[in-house]
Amino acid sequence: MSCAEAEDLLGAYALEALPEEEARRVEEHLRSCAEHRAAAAELRRTSALLPLTVEEGDPSPEVRARIIEAVKATPAPRESVGRPVQSAREPRGTVAPIRRIPTLRAWAARSSRLAVAAAVALALGIGGLIGYQLGHGSSPQVAYTFQGDPTAAPGAEGRLVYFKDRKQAVVAATGLPRLASGQVYEMWLIKGGVPVDKGISASSSGDIGAQLPGDLSQFQQFAITIEPGEQQLPTTKPILVGNLQSG
Amino acid sequence: MAAQLKRGESTAIESLYDRYGRLAFGLAFRILNERGAAEDVVQDAFVSVWRNAAGFDARRGSLRNWLLSIVRNRAIDRLRGSARVRSEIDLADAGQRAEVPDVWEAVALDLERKQIQEGFRELPDPQRQTLELAYFGGYTHVEIASRMQVPLGTVKSRMRIGLEKMRTFLTARGVMA
Repeated sequence: MSCAEAEDLLGAYALEALPEEEARRVEEHLRSCAEHRAAAAELRRTSALLPLTVEEGDPSPEVRARIIEAVKATPAPRESVGRPVQSAREPRGTVAPIRRIPTLRAWAARSSRLAVAAAVALALGIGGLIGYQLGHGSSPQVAYTFQGDPTAAPGAEGRLVYFKDRKQAVVAATGLPRLASGQVYEMWLIKGGVPVDKGISASSSGDIGAQLPGDLSQFQQFAITIEPGEQQLPTTKPILVGNLQSG
Repeated sequence: MAAQLKRGESTAIESLYDRYGRLAFGLAFRILNERGAAEDVVQDAFVSVWRNAAGFDARRGSLRNWLLSIVRNRAIDRLRGSARVRSEIDLADAGQRAEVPDVWEAVALDLERKQIQEGFRELPDPQRQTLELAYFGGYTHVEIASRMQVPLGTVKSRMRIGLEKMRTFLTARGVMA
């Protein structure tokens, strides 16, 4: 198969939409063409995400029981002997050092400009759009709003303003569920699905304000959980969560 | 979880099911549109993961994507009545991520799914329908051209461009590297 022919078929190949013979010819070509092999792998990685476009469903409870029964009746898998063992990589999330974030008030004394922005973020309040731009075009500030979980924190709302040039963000949230004794609000930035601790706040009013130093561009989401003291990784579901991409 | 599976700890299958069972069923049902058949496929797929766990290699893709590809392939085989040729290309992954606490996994998965759903929705209708017919219908490019009454070349380019647009969308949002 020529490069031009293969080029034409890579999308269909990645979707497994080629008849057997044609698929084999593409595979033969891929073995000798690094460029198309890389392109096919990229397309394949994308098509592998298509199952995640479906809505989840509820199988009957017996399915779980049947699987467990079948698994118990099947010999346990064994690592193959005599060949190099393929080890499943189990990378650990990188966890930022635990630290208490400066409260907005303490920190405002050092940076009135950011403090004003945080206050603006709080005041901007209701119903903003994710990725809402403060200013126009090349503005170095980006604002995001987050809604509380409808069950756990109905009416709660967060706003995060990121100052790209300073690589600092301020975050403000209002209407959070009140904390029980010993509990804290903990903030997280999420990168590749892995939450990174960004500090705690123990405000009794349900409103918090804080600064998050660092480059936000590598993170995809922001979240707040309620924890029994500061944790390295969350132990509860977020009461407020949202995306940091503006699209 | 992958390490537990490879060690032959059967509770890992229960954890895997609790995490992805609803998604696996959603996928099988989307393809087969019949609950009983979808449940059979889900059961087969989980047992297959258990049987083949020793050969699982995380460098070639995540456990989740491996499971879902088994569900998809079995459902399509059932729908189309025969086993199809499977791509040799690794599923090495995009969605590869570090282990995170169980309580968070559902949240992370939900966020990721929302972005993937959005990326898919944003495709122009003809591209999205072409990907749907191929992935969830198990049709070949020739069959799709005939069903959609468009030239074969159009189907091929819709497949390629549709996937590339999704990749661009998801890369910009950090879902894909």
